[in-house]
Amino acid sequence: MIKITGLSKKFKVENPKKLSEQDKKDPRLKGRFFHSIKNVNLTCQSGQVLALLGPNGAGKTTTLRVLSSALEPDNGSIEINGVDVVKNPVEARRKIGFLSGTTGLYGRLSGRENITYFGKINGLDDAEIEQRIEELAQQLDMHSFLDRRSENYSTGMKQKTSIARAVIHRPEVIVMDEPTTGLDIMASATVISFIRSLKASNTPVIFSTHHLEEVSELCDAVAIIDKGETTFEGTIADFAAKSEDGLHDAFIKCLKEEIN
Amino acid sequence: MWKLIFKKEIIELLRDRKTLFFMIALPILIFPLIFGGVAYLFSETLTEAKEKTLNFTVINAAPDNQLVAKIAAIENLDLVTLEQVPDGQDEIKRLIDSGDIDFVVELPDDYASNVLDAGQVNVKLFVNSAQLNFARERLDEVVQEVSDQRQSSAFQSLGVSETIQEGLIKPIAIERINVADERESIGASIGGMIPYILFLLCLQGAMIPAADIGAGEKERGTLETLLTSPATRLDIVMGKFLTLCTAGVISALVTVLSVALWTVVLGQGMAFSNVGDFMASIGIVDFLLVFLMLVPIVAIFASVLLALSIYARSYKEAQGYMSPLVFIVIVPVIIALLPGIELKGIYAWVPLTNVALAIKELVKGTMDYFQLLAIFGSSVILAGALLYFCIYWFSKEKVLFR
Repeated sequence: MIKITGLSKKFKVENPKKLSEQDKKDPRLKGRFFHSIKNVNLTCQSGQVLALLGPNGAGKTTTLRVLSSALEPDNGSIEINGVDVVKNPVEARRKIGFLSGTTGLYGRLSGRENITYFGKINGLDDAEIEQRIEELAQQLDMHSFLDRRSENYSTGMKQKTSIARAVIHRPEVIVMDEPTTGLDIMASATVISFIRSLKASNTPVIFSTHHLEEVSELCDAVAIIDKGETTFEGTIADFAAKSEDGLHDAFIKCLKEEIN
Repeated sequence: MWKLIFKKEIIELLRDRKTLFFMIALPILIFPLIFGGVAYLFSETLTEAKEKTLNFTVINAAPDNQLVAKIAAIENLDLVTLEQVPDGQDEIKRLIDSGDIDFVVELPDDYASNVLDAGQVNVKLFVNSAQLNFARERLDEVVQEVSDQRQSSAFQSLGVSETIQEGLIKPIAIERINVADERESIGASIGGMIPYILFLLCLQGAMIPAADIGAGEKERGTLETLLTSPATRLDIVMGKFLTLCTAGVISALVTVLSVALWTVVLGQGMAFSNVGDFMASIGIVDFLLVFLMLVPIVAIFASVLLALSIYARSYKEAQGYMSPLVFIVIVPVIIALLPGIELKGIYAWVPLTNVALAIKELVKGTMDYFQLLAIFGSSVILAGALLYFCIYWFSKEKVLFR
């Protein structure tokens, strides 16, 4: 289970004068600090897939980065299956499979080598890694390119490799930042199918997305962040009930301006 | 864990054609080709200039036709007789600039071949020194020969013996007796340049992968994934730091070995035999000490480069931060080359400068081994402090997520 309570994170603005007019008007900008997220709360139970929604710049990526321990929060707590992420980040990282917003791979390594590297960092032995790569290559349809240098991969190939890299160590929870962005229909379908298989294996998954059709297809729960604050958290049914005109309209109704 | 990161970085390094080109191909093939080519061109240009046939004319040749004839007999010099004798320096300049004449010799009106009558005579040589033609050098041998003959005959007519002649020309002569052995002499000549070359090679070698290892990883988005793995910041820094150290040392070694190899291949017989004897006189312990002293130096470079690389937002920005280091590194080496700067007192504690001084002393064979304590002490302290800063730097979110 993933439990986030009262999470806040601010960043010092190096040069406030260089901010765009829109950024200067953002209520989260206070003096030389930009309060990216403030009092974010959400829970994702075992076997649940939670969609993290919000407009661009709402604070979704910051939330996921803090959750994955890449960033340290100013306030609040994050618990992953009983482990405090802030107090024990290294232990927590062993439990998390994190897919960042970029499909960054080591281009001079093959897909297999990229995945193996992270398998070893997570303490897996060679036999385990080999077996796990075989499983993941099967699931994500990666055999045709797995041993080629990843610098020549398509976006879909890169994303599949990134996903395999994130889950090589059978993490207890999965965090994904916009996993289907930029993918073609076939690659998206493979990724969605993979997330569904994670759900079937009772692994909690949090992923941010802008695609509401993915939300309705995959998710059990929804959390919406707007201007750094959680404006909605509930089941997909609760979310759908927000509007009779569909999820898009429900999403609009959950934004901060609409609520106020 | 740092071993895993180090191994991965080395594999990536070895698969990067650009890095391999700069670290291996450039020192082994391109540098020798460039330097060999430049040396060949230089040598060819000099030979051509020395052997080129020069046209010259003489103004007022009458007082010493014998001298003029001797000059005209010099190989590759053609005496040109002009219909109209140039009047004044401006006309002579125009004549030389036109290219018809390469130089002009003018004998003075009061010229006399007997030294006892005329004293010293002043023969003018008009030449454009911007043109490489060795006119002066070609005349020197003949003029010196004639001068010696006339000097000797003047002394004879005065009844001065040969011994007294030498005393009259140079009453006090200093005989220089070099008590330094060959190693010390050669070491003093080239010892100052060795740290200069080694420092730059180590820096250059570490600089090639440095931009990619920090800023490049940040730009590609792989750093964020690495930060969310169980690898600690310390593991990540150590893995990357050791990669840069390895690259720096290998680059320096490859270049030095390549230069040695090419010296043999190009068959510089005499030079190589001298270099070989000189190398043999240094001894394995001093060679090892030179290498060991480079280790903290490479560590200093690697820490600074890694800190800059991880601060930069992109590969290009990192290269921009790193480029000035080449000039900064030269400063402590130049200090070591200044007259009066020796490996003692405060200079034994100044990092980089002390190593530059020590390498020179080791090459010369005049090292005070007691100073090694100060050299290693200060270098290791600085390297450690910079590495510590690098680890601290790597834990700052404002650096990693700029």
